[in-house]
Amino acid sequence: MIEPVALKDFFITFFSSALIIMAGAAYALLFAWSKIHTNPRIKQCAYLSYIVLVIAVAELTRAANFSGYWLLISFAMVIGYFFAPIGIWHLCVKTHDDRTTITKRGEDR
Amino acid sequence: MSSNEAKSVTLIFQNRVCTLIQRFQSWVRLDSGNLSGGQQLAVKYFSVAVILFFAQIVFGLLAAIQFIAPGFLYEILDFNVNRMVHINAMVVWMLYGFMGSIYWLLEDESGSDIVGLKWGNLAFWVLTGAVTLVVLVYLFIQIGSGTDSSLWFINEGREYIEAPRWADIGIVAVMLVFFYNVVATFSKGKWSGIAGVLTLDLVALAGLYLAGMFYMTNITHDQYWWWWVIHLWVEATWEVLVGVIMAWSLMKLLGVRRKIVQTWLYIEVALMFGSGILGLGHHYFWIGTPEYWLTIGGFFSALEPIPLVAMVVHAVYDSGVHAFKTGNHPALAWIIAHAFGNFFGAGVWGFMHTLPQINLYTHGTQWSASHGHLAFFGAYATINIAFFYLAIQHWRGDVWMAGGSRNAWRWKWALGLLNAGVMGMTIALLIAGYEQSFIERAMEGSTWGGYFSAQNHPSFQNAMVWRLVWGLVTFAGLVLLIWDLLTIGKEETRKAEVIAQAEG
Repeated sequence: MIEPVALKDFFITFFSSALIIMAGAAYALLFAWSKIHTNPRIKQCAYLSYIVLVIAVAELTRAANFSGYWLLISFAMVIGYFFAPIGIWHLCVKTHDDRTTITKRGEDR
Repeated sequence: MSSNEAKSVTLIFQNRVCTLIQRFQSWVRLDSGNLSGGQQLAVKYFSVAVILFFAQIVFGLLAAIQFIAPGFLYEILDFNVNRMVHINAMVVWMLYGFMGSIYWLLEDESGSDIVGLKWGNLAFWVLTGAVTLVVLVYLFIQIGSGTDSSLWFINEGREYIEAPRWADIGIVAVMLVFFYNVVATFSKGKWSGIAGVLTLDLVALAGLYLAGMFYMTNITHDQYWWWWVIHLWVEATWEVLVGVIMAWSLMKLLGVRRKIVQTWLYIEVALMFGSGILGLGHHYFWIGTPEYWLTIGGFFSALEPIPLVAMVVHAVYDSGVHAFKTGNHPALAWIIAHAFGNFFGAGVWGFMHTLPQINLYTHGTQWSASHGHLAFFGAYATINIAFFYLAIQHWRGDVWMAGGSRNAWRWKWALGLLNAGVMGMTIALLIAGYEQSFIERAMEGSTWGGYFSAQNHPSFQNAMVWRLVWGLVTFAGLVLLIWDLLTIGKEETRKAEVIAQAEG
């Protein structure tokens, strides 16, 4: 049975949902950027964004009363949003077939 | 008045209209000699799209005023009519824009002239005549209670697809001509990955529209099929159509290799259809479908933003690795606006209220309107406007169109005002929707009294005033956009830089 969000959790539900997408995009952006510019701080920021995403997922799970098979959504978001940018990055490299250019830019720095 | 006098009055009127058209043509200085047959057909679609865009905003403003002053134009132009014309004009101008864009790219992509150009022109006039007639019926004849014949001649009564049945059949006929032109032209010329995706998408697009023509007396069944058209058109077939248009325009604007855009187009189709089709369940809260639909909808809705995340990674990769050059800055700026608008409107604003645990409260409130405003503008209007700029550049003989050109402020301000206006309306409607969800749904339990409590709450009313203010900003942006489209590049003598497409 679906248990609706409690009145006091209205705002946190909207906010955590939005934050999941925003943090997911920030993680993807920073992850891709860290591959182009080999600066460890960018990668750290990427993982920080991912931690924000995990916290937002946990908060949404609590506020939206996920239990039972509804928890699959939380797992799908935590795992899917972590691996999607990595997989997409590899696809980018393969489709452009341009690995030397990136490696070279990375080495210049 | 005698028949001779009537004839002379008609002649004078015709001469005046012809003179006005000639003056307008000499003022805009557009040379149709620059266009192929398919492109001439495309610009007809674009012209009607811009007129309908204007109508959409005007009727939206009238409806926005009526939220604040309910007596405004009461029994002359009622709110329900204004809202309906506002929404339908939006749907139809998007379709006109998409069809124009496809006709624009068809000859270039296939390497062949359009096979049924005459049929295409005939279909354009039939569609435009039908749209005009339907709108006139909505405005002047749609009064009083309905009968069985109303479905056929006045209004079918389904929100967003209100066209009467005769117009439904006409739309299907026009789409069949469009489909024939696309398939026959690619068959005569050459097929490509883009051509394949486009063809399959048009089958799905037309097929889904048929789902909206079932008429059922059971409201759950009726809504079930209605959502197929509304959700799957927008979150599956339109997104793929936009992907096709985007893929082709990236090759033309930035010289991106065909292999790259086609690979990403296939991935996008897989992700969009993979998540978008079953994401349909997130609409099914209030219509009485089994509960498993809500779980399925929730699960796939959580995955729907992944194509947008893919876009982010790819954009960073491209901008980091390659130095991009383009010969059409306004078009590129609108494509960038598309990327942001699609991400925020469809991704962030969509996921905020799709899970059934919260959708119970937000479904059908101004929250939906907030999401709708940003998503439709961000995902679809922006890409059509980018194509308008591509078309106008070629229509003027491939002139230079850059950020530093004379009067470039017009397209920059139009871009800024339109985006700021839509974003402002989105935020205002978000606040109104929040109040409505909280007061009407959560506190007062979706009662009729709760509805009025929410509507009369100062926070709701203030938000609606701000929606009108930002609507006026949007209108100002649109006027500037139309002025810019009519004049951009008029005095330019330099030719645009030709962007060579990379091989492979």
